[in-house]
Amino acid sequence: MKIQNLLDSICISCLLLAICTSGYSQEGARISGNLEFNGNFFVRDSSINAFNTPQYDRQLYGADSWLNLNYSYKGFDVGVRFDMFQNSYLLNPSDSYTAQGIGYWQVKKSINKLGITAGYFYDIIGSGIIFRAYESRPLAIDQALYGIRLTYDFDDNWRLKGFSGRQKQQFDLYESNFRGASIEGFLSLDSSKVTLAPGFGAVSRTLDDNTMNNLVATLNTYRGPTFDPNTGELIDEGDIFTPKYSTYAFSFYNTLTAGPFSWYLEGAYKTKDVLNDPLAPRETISGDTIIGRFIQTDGTVFYTSVSYARNGLGITLEGKRTRNFDFRTRPQAEGIQGLVHFLPPMTRVNTYRMLARYAYNIQFIGETSVQADISYRFNKALTMTLNFSNIDDRNGEELYREGYLELYYKFKRKWTLTAGAQYQEYNQDVLQGKPGVPFVTSFTPYFDFLYKIDKKRAIRFEGQYMTLEEVRGVLGDYGNWAFGLVEYSIAPNWTFTVSDMVNIKPGKLSPPENAPVSTKEKKHYPRFDVYYTHKTNRFSLSYVKQVEGIVCSGGICRLEPAFSGVKVSVNSTF
Amino acid sequence: MKRLLFFLSFIVFSFSACDEIEPVVTGATPGASGPTPPAEQKRQVIIEEFTGVGCVQCPSGSAIIKDLVSIHGSQLIAVSIHSSENFSVPTPQNQYDFRTPEGDGLNNYLGGPLGFPSAVVNRRLFDGRPSLQLGKNEWPGYVVEEKAIPPKVKLDIQPVFNPANRNVSIDVTIFVEETVSEPDVNLSVIFTEDGIIDYQLTPEGPNLNYKHEHVFRGMATPFSGQPLAESLTVGAQITKSFNYTIPADWKEEKVNIIAVVSIDGIRKDVLQAHKVHLIE
Repeated sequence: MKIQNLLDSICISCLLLAICTSGYSQEGARISGNLEFNGNFFVRDSSINAFNTPQYDRQLYGADSWLNLNYSYKGFDVGVRFDMFQNSYLLNPSDSYTAQGIGYWQVKKSINKLGITAGYFYDIIGSGIIFRAYESRPLAIDQALYGIRLTYDFDDNWRLKGFSGRQKQQFDLYESNFRGASIEGFLSLDSSKVTLAPGFGAVSRTLDDNTMNNLVATLNTYRGPTFDPNTGELIDEGDIFTPKYSTYAFSFYNTLTAGPFSWYLEGAYKTKDVLNDPLAPRETISGDTIIGRFIQTDGTVFYTSVSYARNGLGITLEGKRTRNFDFRTRPQAEGIQGLVHFLPPMTRVNTYRMLARYAYNIQFIGETSVQADISYRFNKALTMTLNFSNIDDRNGEELYREGYLELYYKFKRKWTLTAGAQYQEYNQDVLQGKPGVPFVTSFTPYFDFLYKIDKKRAIRFEGQYMTLEEVRGVLGDYGNWAFGLVEYSIAPNWTFTVSDMVNIKPGKLSPPENAPVSTKEKKHYPRFDVYYTHKTNRFSLSYVKQVEGIVCSGGICRLEPAFSGVKVSVNSTF
Repeated sequence: MKRLLFFLSFIVFSFSACDEIEPVVTGATPGASGPTPPAEQKRQVIIEEFTGVGCVQCPSGSAIIKDLVSIHGSQLIAVSIHSSENFSVPTPQNQYDFRTPEGDGLNNYLGGPLGFPSAVVNRRLFDGRPSLQLGKNEWPGYVVEEKAIPPKVKLDIQPVFNPANRNVSIDVTIFVEETVSEPDVNLSVIFTEDGIIDYQLTPEGPNLNYKHEHVFRGMATPFSGQPLAESLTVGAQITKSFNYTIPADWKEEKVNIIAVVSIDGIRKDVLQAHKVHLIE
């Protein structure tokens, strides 16, 4: 047994002992918790590329589950979570991961103005640009820090926070060390309605020896400097550099509120750090030119958000400029692995199936983005929402553009209609790592109609139609889609849903990928769901055929393969 | 105010640090290549790359492996496995279909890649890594780490090729240098072919004359290897014989035979790999 697991087991035993010996009989003691269970039964379907993974080929079943338990007594807060992954595809959609154990435990206690947290903790500095420890289960993101956190409240308005620890990696820990601190306050100017909420944060990461040795071994395959043999003059610096063990990141942030206006501003700076630049060219020692290499540079992020809300009008304007701000527990980590921070996304969070198909994937290496969101309530029945976002890369090349209009109409308490349209330009080459594929330009009108049959029964219809613009006579990606859904609910217990997503006009990448587009047939991706809710328990049973696509959580995205099979889930809070 | 200043100074001191002693980056130096008989054999590492003719990013991975082979010489053996339901499907411009049942089996056995290019180094699950599959930035470090470990077994391969019927008989001898305690150990015999000119999608566009190196072509054993019934105690010598008919579309002068001794079970670490040409 690893020392980490042994220590966890000892701590958990002590925590459970404390809970059991104190018990419910202690006045003021409180136990709460929640359970999430997701089971998957895999049914191979090679026609939609749901095959060639261990789950489809031999395992046939997988499950993920989390049981969270919290106990509070006399100022002590204790939390413990059991995590289970069986034949799970969450960590790597092409592979199978099996492990179970205590994924999280925490003890908290406040002593006068001092707050103490030991174990795993989630936290954020500012908007997360230099540090955010958080959890997102659909992508198996769990960036909890394992260590100690202290807070000190000077008064009701000012708090100092400091922490030290290592980042969690499933049931193990990354080896790099982190330390961080922040001070946050609140100022109210007596003479006006103006308030300020300033803050300053700092985080440092020190690479461990294994990570550094691995990094040096990689740099030792890079081309070194070349000199003129006659004069000794430097001709070319090459690509190698000497990496730094420690990197520091600083952030200043403030929220200014004045009546209906609110203005958030954050500026962050990171000292020299090793990061993977996916677009930097490198000449190998064999003479080939490849794209993507490690660089060592400092980084910056500026982020601002201005909002106004009054008399049914709401306006939010946001802007962000990112340069070389990929901050990870180890530079070799790729994709969503090992991130220690979070950059606020400058795009709408779309929830409708087709509207979310081309979700924007944040580019830590560099982007310049703006977003405007305007909503206006004409009267009690009619509301309009407008959204526009534009994101360019660090060289000014377009990455993403979205225009969105939505109208919401409510007729008494009988029915509601939501209808609108989305226009998107999506750089699939960069955002999904598919070099050479053309820009995706899509237009998607949609509606959502809810009709209340009586006090208990309601029926809802959704319809969406996505058309892609042809490029040089070829329909790109998966082509055009139609989506329809009918949902019938009987409050408060039952909900039944039937939906179908039809690849109505297949595109170049629709399966089978290398077949001529003219030979590809329409494909259906049906889904049937039954949900049963009883008090705080919710059960679901679903038959799902799901196309390959991007799955995102807060702008952090991953390309996931197709799914075919049956899903069951249980959610409970107590 | 005094408390605030005290704690702020505390933070400032927490983030101040002395100058670091920097690591030494030397740059690349080529390694020795050529035959490695058991007496002179060091640890020989195998890197199994997962690739595809329709994978535009994969040529960069192959270029990195080319560099690594040039740096580590005989101590690094490369295998390129074409097994992806998306990227390895031959296009109309392809003359060859590099996909094989054994390659698909290995893809499944070792766990599929999360993205491409991807490779497995000595089939080892390195500390803290979620799977055997590693992104290209990880390969050089783990090759160095594996190379530094003395081999528990050494290998010798003696092929005899009959051009008339294209049959090759292969004797693989395992020399046990250190007792292997794991109960399940397998021996795999892999064939690769170098220098195949065929279509490959590259960042510059389709390349009909791309040179595919160390292409996984087949195996003389099951994909997970042939279980060794013998005990691998120090000093033991175990010889296994195999027969295989080289298909007509393989150029025999470009074919390599690779023997791999690996653990079978939850861990699949390779103890030693060894490569010879079909025709020396």
